[in-house]
Amino acid sequence: MTESQPKPKTVADDKKVHGVVAEFTDVDSLLAACRRVRDAGYTKADAFTPFPVHGIDTALGIKPTILPWISLAAGLTGTTIALLMQISLNGQTELFEGIQYPYIISGKPFISLPAFIPVTFELTILLASFGTFFGMWALNGLPRFSNPMFTSPRFDRATDDTFFLFLDAKDSRFDEAGAKALLGELGGEFVEPVLEDDSSKVIPKGLLITLATVICLSSIPALAVLRMRVTKSGSPRFHIFPDMDFSPSKDAQQTTSLFADGRAMRPDVPGTVRRGEMDWDLNFKTGIDMDELASIDAPRAAQLVALQSDVAVDEEDEVAAEEPAVEEQTADEAATEEPAPAGETGEASENTSVAATADDTPWLTENPLELSEEALARGQQQFNIYCSVCHGMNGRGNGLVNRRAQEILATTWTPPSNMHDPTLYSDVYPDGKLFSTITNGVRKMPGYASQIKAKDRWAIVAYVRALQTSQDATLEDVPGSQRSKIEKEQADVQAKLKAAAEAEAAKAAEAADAE
Amino acid sequence: MSLAIPNGLDNSNDRPGQRAPLVLGDTNYHSITEAVCKIAEQPPSRAWVIGFLVSVHLATMLGLCIAYLIYTGVGVWGNRAPIFWGWPIVNFVFWVGIGHAGTLISAILYLFRQEWRTSINRTAEAMTIFAVVCAGTFPGIHVGRAWLAFWLAPYPSLNLWMWPQFRSPLLWDVFAVSTYATVSLLFWYMGMVPDLATFRDRSKNPIRRAAYGVLALGWSGSSRHWMRYEKAYALLAAFAAPLVLSVHTIVSFDFAVSQVPGWHTTIFPPYFVAGAIFSGFAMVITLMVPARKIFNIEKLITIRHLENMCKIILTTGLIVGLAYGTEFFIAWFGQVPEEKFAFINRAFGPYWWAYWTMITCNVVSPNIFWSKKARTTPWIMFVVSIFVNIGMWFERFVITITSLSRDYLPSAWAYFSPTWVDWCMLIGSFGLFFTLFLLFCRLMPIVNMAETKATLAKELHMAHANHSHEDDH
Repeated sequence: MTESQPKPKTVADDKKVHGVVAEFTDVDSLLAACRRVRDAGYTKADAFTPFPVHGIDTALGIKPTILPWISLAAGLTGTTIALLMQISLNGQTELFEGIQYPYIISGKPFISLPAFIPVTFELTILLASFGTFFGMWALNGLPRFSNPMFTSPRFDRATDDTFFLFLDAKDSRFDEAGAKALLGELGGEFVEPVLEDDSSKVIPKGLLITLATVICLSSIPALAVLRMRVTKSGSPRFHIFPDMDFSPSKDAQQTTSLFADGRAMRPDVPGTVRRGEMDWDLNFKTGIDMDELASIDAPRAAQLVALQSDVAVDEEDEVAAEEPAVEEQTADEAATEEPAPAGETGEASENTSVAATADDTPWLTENPLELSEEALARGQQQFNIYCSVCHGMNGRGNGLVNRRAQEILATTWTPPSNMHDPTLYSDVYPDGKLFSTITNGVRKMPGYASQIKAKDRWAIVAYVRALQTSQDATLEDVPGSQRSKIEKEQADVQAKLKAAAEAEAAKAAEAADAE
Repeated sequence: MSLAIPNGLDNSNDRPGQRAPLVLGDTNYHSITEAVCKIAEQPPSRAWVIGFLVSVHLATMLGLCIAYLIYTGVGVWGNRAPIFWGWPIVNFVFWVGIGHAGTLISAILYLFRQEWRTSINRTAEAMTIFAVVCAGTFPGIHVGRAWLAFWLAPYPSLNLWMWPQFRSPLLWDVFAVSTYATVSLLFWYMGMVPDLATFRDRSKNPIRRAAYGVLALGWSGSSRHWMRYEKAYALLAAFAAPLVLSVHTIVSFDFAVSQVPGWHTTIFPPYFVAGAIFSGFAMVITLMVPARKIFNIEKLITIRHLENMCKIILTTGLIVGLAYGTEFFIAWFGQVPEEKFAFINRAFGPYWWAYWTMITCNVVSPNIFWSKKARTTPWIMFVVSIFVNIGMWFERFVITITSLSRDYLPSAWAYFSPTWVDWCMLIGSFGLFFTLFLLFCRLMPIVNMAETKATLAKELHMAHANHSHEDDH
């Protein structure tokens, strides 16, 4: 595109002739000249016009273009790509296993051709248009930024109002003098040779530098991204849009300033009734004989009834009712435990005497649950899930949490009770009280009312009783029908132990022999 | 080389047996080049500078609003439950509709050999592209997380492990609008290449010459090139013609495929396409009437061109009016209570003012074009075109907002109120549109010189034939 000096009209020795060009001022004379040139046998003649001239392709003998076939091929490619893409991405096909995304939409089949028509149509048109657009430029050999025709300043008018007829030097019939004579004869003005242009093969330096700069600058973001992808960074990820990456919610066991008690985990609202527990009576839910409690301590009974039936309680009454319970707890315990609405006395198992005198609650002494094999199995399962982590599978208070806590928190840790302590036997620690302890907690132990259903808590009580019986039981405690089975098992175990001891002794003897 | 016309610059009357010329005055090939190139070569006029400054400021306001929206979230719009498609979607459909006239003029009128398209097609195509740019902005930011809008494209992502849903009209819309934008751009650019070569060859400034030289791709005007070029142009026109009709059809599917009362109708595709052509031609008039005056190209964009566009506005306006009536008929005939309610609510509910603005602007106002005087008076057509633009915006408002605000669940009904961000974005989108359009007017050939010259050549040829024919008698 650089401006070039007007060329001399004669041919310089070192320059090759590209062809000969002549100017015409109107369409009709150009067309007449074209026909004459074609009839004279020129096959590489070309006309340059400011607008498409109707009929010039026949006048010059230009063959039809293959462009429509390129468009057709590109369009069909678009159709194929669209259908394959949609079937493979939304349909369930064996062909593209691993990348498909079958998703039911309004009950349509995964491969629903009517729903695929719009995208197929659009991609067909898109690719056909690309094929036509780029195919046309490719067939025309464009873009081309150097052309010998542009060396003549007069040629600038080819895009304005002047028509040029050009005879190419590569034509087999071409000779310069003859071509000039022919064009002059046909009425062409300014007949002159066009020289091969060797200057324009070099890209202008300014353009080259600009291009290089643009390419370098535009590749910086891509390179930066690529580099970040292959290097490791210790700093946290940069969040341009934080979305929900930083949730203000609290984790378990954290403190909060939102509530007076500082707990982030909120206990159940007083009066909360679990689904399906509405039918159970108050005795079943509290472990207390409510009729008797009403006769001994009427306000506390009324308090319990109110709590369980979700009726708003006067604040003062609530505090008054809780006072005795708080008094019996240490300050530390009071801070960490929820208010014990069911009248949890919170006494330590060690000082039974104090508890025994202070506790006049009419606890249920019998498990209201119908005892069965099934209930005990359920109790065992629930005990193993919720209780055994502290109390141990056998109830001796040596669960994993306890063992770990003894190591790291030895001074502040209150160890869990041993279930086989006689103070926890049913004669001094009634079933109802055990149930209440599971429900509301004691000392460091939290209440499990919100995790374990009342029915399952009674099942745990039953299992704990079985556990207590089992650990110090003798053969006499077992029903007669079962004794022989137990005896047989014991004999088997003893035989095995004996065999093991003998094998050990034999091994030791062998080792001694070898020495 | 000139064509005398009996009554000055009015070529809207045909003489029996002879078509009135489409290129007027003492015109030859060189004067066409001069008239069009002058617009880009002379220093900008005062009107252009003022218009450009205003537009750039409004476009900047749009950019700031988008930044504010992305930073804060879509709550800054008036979109509230149940009206989740508020003004962003109204504006999207409005601008996509505007974008239909360009390719319609270029492709369909080309295929029908309507030669009067030649001097207006370039501007109309440019308008199409800029309108689609404005249209594409709105769904892009309406997705909420604009920085993830690329998820709309089907690309293999190991992080997402999912693909777009190809049975959804919203995805069809993505393909339709992006294909339309791409093909319109190719069509527009290809049509400009010979004229860019004219710009290149007239440039004295080396930087300007190099810039237009790169854009012109080395175009020389060779007859072999012209032959393939014309074939490619005809093919692209043939591809673009069904594409124009498909785009607004698919946009209407966004509504019609849903179950919302007032949307779930089969009339939507043809009704939307007619509305799109209607609004697009109105926008062409809005742009052309001042532009031909300011840039002094009244001999190229003649009264006859404008009159033909007015006729199309009248026709499509009647089609749109018929569609409004048909909707009511079907609502009554279908006997679906929700549909009946939806349409009575449209006309007499809380948005009655929007509905009757739409009817006044779209159905009543174009009827002035039954009068030839109105069809040939630029200021009247300019006023009517503004009315039609307003009416067509309200049509999208009525369809989107009234149906969403009162659907099946009366307890969720609400009244839509736009926020200041809604207003600024609507106004700002006009700023973006006019910024791009005014830049185009200064930098690119706004009239297709090559085709206009070809039309002139044909007219000269016919005049010559007629003349010699008369001589024979």
